[in-house]
Amino acid sequence: MEKIIECEHVSKVFGDLVVLKDISFSVEKGETVCLIGPSGSGKSTMLRCLNKLEEIQKGEIKVNGLDVKSVKNVNTYRSNIGMVFQHFNLFPNYTVIENMTLAPRTLKKLSKKEAIKKAEELLERVGLSDKRDVYPATLSGGQKQRVAIARALEMNPSILLFDEPTSALDPEMVGEVLDVMKSLAKEGMTMVVVTHEMGFARDVANRILFMDDGYIVEEAPPLEMFQNPKTDRCKKFLSNFI
Amino acid sequence: MIEYLNLFWKYLPMLLNGLKLTLLIALLGISIAIILGIFLCVLSISKNKILEKIASTYITIVRGIPLMILALFLYFGVIKNSMSTNSAAIIILAINASAYMAEIFRAGVQAIDIGQTEAARSLGLSYFQTMRKVIFPQAVKIMIPSLMNQSISSLKDTAILSAITVNELTLTSKVIIARNYRAFELYSYAAIIYLIVIIFLTYLSKRVESKLNYTQR
Ligand SMILES: Nc1ncnc2c1ncn2[C@@H]1O[C@H](COP(=O)(O)OP(=O)(O)O)[C@@H](O)[C@H]1O
Ligand SMILES: [Mg+2]
Repeated sequence: MEKIIECEHVSKVFGDLVVLKDISFSVEKGETVCLIGPSGSGKSTMLRCLNKLEEIQKGEIKVNGLDVKSVKNVNTYRSNIGMVFQHFNLFPNYTVIENMTLAPRTLKKLSKKEAIKKAEELLERVGLSDKRDVYPATLSGGQKQRVAIARALEMNPSILLFDEPTSALDPEMVGEVLDVMKSLAKEGMTMVVVTHEMGFARDVANRILFMDDGYIVEEAPPLEMFQNPKTDRCKKFLSNFI
Repeated sequence: MIEYLNLFWKYLPMLLNGLKLTLLIALLGISIAIILGIFLCVLSISKNKILEKIASTYITIVRGIPLMILALFLYFGVIKNSMSTNSAAIIILAINASAYMAEIFRAGVQAIDIGQTEAARSLGLSYFQTMRKVIFPQAVKIMIPSLMNQSISSLKDTAILSAITVNELTLTSKVIIARNYRAFELYSYAAIIYLIVIIFLTYLSKRVESKLNYTQR
């Protein structure tokens, strides 16, 4: 299989704080990899390094075979990697369809007509066709996150990164967002998902990475990780979810 | 009372002429100040330490000097006869107001959730595209009340420019008083005219504000 993301000995510091310590992992095309671990362990930072929202100090990250240090145009690079945030981060000054078409049109990736057509298709797919022309303020959390996913898909990314996409949602809305993510996984989208939804990780992930204190402590397919975690740290973390 | 009114009608045309200049200087001065202010704001939020320092030094100096001194110094000390009094007045007002405008813009931009920038950048928008299409439109909405306040404040500040012989409303009143010694009448006429203009502008700014209040978040 073709490796889309390869991280080797990645290390990242903020001032004196070493947040990522010698991280190595890879993601193959079409894989869904879940990143789990306690708060503060460096999961968000890891994701943000992948799309160059943060720069790494040591090691190497290759995306689609290209060393991210050698990226010339960071904007083009980022437009190929979708990111979905915990707090949705929809643009409140634009309608749903405008949120989705802003980037492809500004970057001249699609014409206005193409962008709108594509956005309408994506809205239908996430079940929000009727919300096409409303402002984000009028949407529920689950609807906002589905629009955010559709907005990321509009750029036709080769990778989607999710940073706790359901953590800010009321429990009854978690399912609708996870369903969209599940269907993406089934279609072969390459996804890295930071999540505390162990049900989702168990059912959808190809592999799970357990992070603690800046290290990847364990890496295994879901059943193996949940049934017999090798380290005490992982055991202890997982026991919070039973 | 009759005499008070008669005198008012008599001098109204002259006072309105002064008001015209007041409004012209305020309008042009504030417009330039807004452009300068945006520019200073871009410098002060840039990651470049030197540019940041240039902006913050300018802002500190301008805000720390009374407008009267700034005007006297620039007009009699620097500009001298190199341009018309009215042009000088516009520039002085613009310099003064730009420092306050810059701070208003900076506060507005910084009030926008960092997540907005991250979302826009992760979609591939450049820094300037993000500013122009995502951050600024949201920030402007927050800033409108402060911008209006500063504009009204600058409009009143034009009275100080009478010190450098700008023939605006205040100096016009002074000149008339020098002839007829009616300080109570003339200054009260000027005050009423300023007041009417400012009440009108405040009303206008409230209208703009409520128009811009589309649903958010
Ligand atoms: N921009 C930053 N500046 C300084 N410290 C940061 C920054 N971002 C994250 N950190 C620190 O890095 C550590 C890991 O954070 P994060 O990656 O958000 O962890 P997680 O997503 O696993 O909860 C935390 O201690 C956090 O305080
Ligand atoms: Mg996090």
